[in-house]
Amino acid sequence: MAESSKGRMAFRFVFWAALSAVLFTVILRSHYSGQMASWYYHTAAVDGYAVHADEFVNATKEAPALLQVGKFERIEGLQAVPVKKGDRLPANANGVILSDVLKAGKRASLQGEAVKVTVPWEIKTAKGFKYKDTFKHKGIETWPWAAVWNVFMVIGLGIALGFMAEGFTDIIGIKLEKIRHFEGH
Amino acid sequence: MFDFVIAGIQAPIFLLVFVGFTVGIVGGFIGVGGGYMVTPALIVFGFPGYMASGIDMTHIAGKGVVSTVRHRQLGNIDWTMALSMVAGTMLGVELGVRLLVYFKGLGLSTIVLLITSVLVMFTLFLYTQIETRRAHRKIEQMSQDGESVGREIQTSSLPKIFQNIPLAPIVRCRTARVIISMWVIVLVGVVTGVLAGFLGVGGGFIRVPSLVYLVGASTHIAVGTDLVEIVFSGGYGALRHSIEGHVDMMAVMFMICGALFGAQVGSIATSYVRGPAIRYILSYSLILATCGAVLRLAYVLTGQKVESLSFLAVMLTLGEMIFLCLFILSLVVFAVRHRKGKSVPQWVPPLVV
Repeated sequence: MAESSKGRMAFRFVFWAALSAVLFTVILRSHYSGQMASWYYHTAAVDGYAVHADEFVNATKEAPALLQVGKFERIEGLQAVPVKKGDRLPANANGVILSDVLKAGKRASLQGEAVKVTVPWEIKTAKGFKYKDTFKHKGIETWPWAAVWNVFMVIGLGIALGFMAEGFTDIIGIKLEKIRHFEGH
Repeated sequence: MFDFVIAGIQAPIFLLVFVGFTVGIVGGFIGVGGGYMVTPALIVFGFPGYMASGIDMTHIAGKGVVSTVRHRQLGNIDWTMALSMVAGTMLGVELGVRLLVYFKGLGLSTIVLLITSVLVMFTLFLYTQIETRRAHRKIEQMSQDGESVGREIQTSSLPKIFQNIPLAPIVRCRTARVIISMWVIVLVGVVTGVLAGFLGVGGGFIRVPSLVYLVGASTHIAVGTDLVEIVFSGGYGALRHSIEGHVDMMAVMFMICGALFGAQVGSIATSYVRGPAIRYILSYSLILATCGAVLRLAYVLTGQKVESLSFLAVMLTLGEMIFLCLFILSLVVFAVRHRKGKSVPQWVPPLVV
């Protein structure tokens, strides 16, 4: 009797541990294959130029970054791809420099066949804290199903890990019983 | 260092795991999401403000599930109460967010938000502290008189008033042993939801005292039931933040790894203590969070020029996490010593079982 109960506990623990491992693998695979980023930086939310903002974060007015404009499939280094609102972003793009920003010319401007960036970041405040805000993440739209995927993964991971932990404490003999809330009343 | 491609920063994994672990302990013990502690910590690690909120909310949903599973095993969840409250909570959160947008439109959001936080948290601290001290003294008296002391001692007379409201449908919450109008539970959900949505937090630190002092649930059941609410409100918040693109799943995953262990410790620790011990820790977390909010308010009111105020607020918040964890862990150690008949400080026996 005790043997079969132990076997059941072990099976439960192994099942939930395996499920947790599968979910971790799926998340890590999505990260390393670039799928997570491609879902995240999915479409352009505005008209402008898709860029890889990390490439020119050190540009200054004295040493501006010049981005080569073209219809590239994948953005490599200092390149920019013109996009319209709703267009699928090219691979490796992580932000869009808005057409309005280019027209204003304070932070970036069009110079012939190139985009010239002079002020790649600004200091902004959120919840009373200051942080460096760049062109990264600007003018992009995340694939809505990626949000559902996130919630599904996080809840799934919570369930699997929660039951795995419960199985583990059962196996090592930590017997947790229901609290008698009203004992002594 | 791990390269968080979506957040655009590099941060050490162990810091995220550590934050997940500490907030897991506190959250599992007092039934809060811990948003007011995690968001500043993430900003200190270099995450942009919008990302910090999104990552925090998404991790809260996952951590909430882990803690809920354990509290379910301990019998700390009243499903009737939890499910009756869900709709009210969601409606309240949405109303709270809209209220925030309204104040943002008037250009007042930060100041109104901080003043409301300070007022709400300080009032809750005062009431919880006074009531819990009274309960603590009552337990001491009962022990001296040789009476048997239960898991929960609560001295507030507010629950009786709310339980006597004769508004149908009346629901019977079997686990909590409470018979009450469903509208009271829904209203608690709406009001706490509005505050949570307005203040941008999960709302556990408002909902747990509300469930204890208005609905009349025992503290353990309030904690477990609130965690169910946190799963729903956190899940909804995670969806909204994810749609807006404010979530880096890798950061969330590392935090959940830490929370897995922390939530176990926090949840299991509740089985070693009486209700007033949980309420004490909750009230200390409230006063520490109030001090943090006061410092941030002072920073905003001084035109964000005195940087040391902001720095102090962050340090206080991070210190709070560690202080609360140590407090909870020492309570468990004292409880174990007390069970074995070893010496413990005089204030401990009434708080532990």
